[in-house]
Amino acid sequence: MADKGNDPVAIWQAMIGEMEKGFNSFANQAMASPEFSKVVNQVGGATVSAQKQFGELMEKYLVSMNLPSRAQMVGMAERLQSIEGQLDEIKAMLGQMQRASGGADSGSAGAPRPPRTRRPPSSGKEQK
Amino acid sequence: MNTPIGLDPASMSERIQAEVQRAIQRSIKGVEYIASAAPSLGSTPKDVLHTRGTMNLYHYRPIADEIYRVPVLIVMATTNRGYILDMVPGQSFIEFLLKRGYDVYMLDWTPPKPEEKCLRLEDYVLDFIPDCIRRVQQDSGESDVTLIGYCFGGVLALLYGSIFPDGPMKNLICFTTPIDFHEMKLFRNFSDRRYFDVDRLVDSIGNVPPEMILSSFEMLRPASRTVSQVQLWENIWNDEYVRSYRMFDRWATDTLPLAGEYFRAITKDLMWDNKLFNGTMSVGGRPADISKIRVPILHAVAEHDHIVPYDAAKHLIAKVGSADKEEVMLKGGHVSLVAGANAIKRLWPKLDSWLGGRSI
Repeated sequence: MADKGNDPVAIWQAMIGEMEKGFNSFANQAMASPEFSKVVNQVGGATVSAQKQFGELMEKYLVSMNLPSRAQMVGMAERLQSIEGQLDEIKAMLGQMQRASGGADSGSAGAPRPPRTRRPPSSGKEQK
Repeated sequence: MNTPIGLDPASMSERIQAEVQRAIQRSIKGVEYIASAAPSLGSTPKDVLHTRGTMNLYHYRPIADEIYRVPVLIVMATTNRGYILDMVPGQSFIEFLLKRGYDVYMLDWTPPKPEEKCLRLEDYVLDFIPDCIRRVQQDSGESDVTLIGYCFGGVLALLYGSIFPDGPMKNLICFTTPIDFHEMKLFRNFSDRRYFDVDRLVDSIGNVPPEMILSSFEMLRPASRTVSQVQLWENIWNDEYVRSYRMFDRWATDTLPLAGEYFRAITKDLMWDNKLFNGTMSVGGRPADISKIRVPILHAVAEHDHIVPYDAAKHLIAKVGSADKEEVMLKGGHVSLVAGANAIKRLWPKLDSWLGGRSI
């Protein structure tokens, strides 16, 4: 095989790598200037205003189409989330009750949990 | 006999044959690449302990016969998904911790909904983290908890630790965590207070869209995305390369939006006023001075981190009040420090050797 110094593919890859570094470095210098920040933020500001107006227009359109309002959908999602939260609480309480009643130490999946007796290898026990 | 540029004709012939074969493979695999689904990530078995809006608390099922007494709670950065720490079997930090006998929980984030735009920094530090710690204590039956924070997750963990220095946090591990935000020079310039109107942005659009977050990350190395696509085409015959590329690309582009008020506070308090570094930070009216942190702390930083440069992270260890503290600098970048082949060799074993003795 050709050595790396003569391999055209390796030379091409090295060239790409150098171009990447060079361009990134050049761009970083340009982006560090206050002028860059000014231009970028002016453009960004205009985009934000346009986005806001478009959003408001869409909202009005959906209302006129007699579709469920955003507030109603959010309200339903919150109710579902609250039910899920209560189920989590019940699961945790059941786990605690099981442990308190002397049953196997079970995790949230119901499987027995290993004992919390592990020691690092240097303190006498072998690492598993 | 050598050619004028020093190439042996026989080896040139072999090289050309190999390149022709690769060109054919590129065409075949290129079609496969476009047609196939993105890889499945974050598949280590886990249970969802709790979800509330943007907040998700997972518990990973232990796989060792015996586990350390102190559970570990990982606090993920709010800009990205937690599966960077659980890519695929054999390349998963979570799986590594489980095999080494840790009981692992993760506080991960889903995109905040438009109505969550009012979530403030104090909701994250004074509500979400304490709530998750309480649930970890309840689930594990242990009062002590080790916190591991990645990137901005590390900042949240630091803020929490400085407000609650008396526990229950037993150890703190930060990965690439900035505290001197004035040293994040490009981010600072993008958000220059003379030109960047954060109030107008948040008041207009609420949550900061993920495209904006992703663009600001990509602008730090503007040529790298194009070059990585050229490199993908060159290596598309190599299944292992393509698999790794797709994993990291999927994660990198899976950026989360940021809650508006939270973003406003980060911009003003950290980017503009550098309050965490100056010791003047407060969250919800409560002083958050990291010199109050006294627990053992390990800070892992990356030598070639372009997102959190070393200058932005280097003062963390000096500023915390802990007697037992260590900074470790490892080869790699912001992501390769925690995931991928480098992390497997470097960071993960280091973390295990540091944390094992402090988890009993």
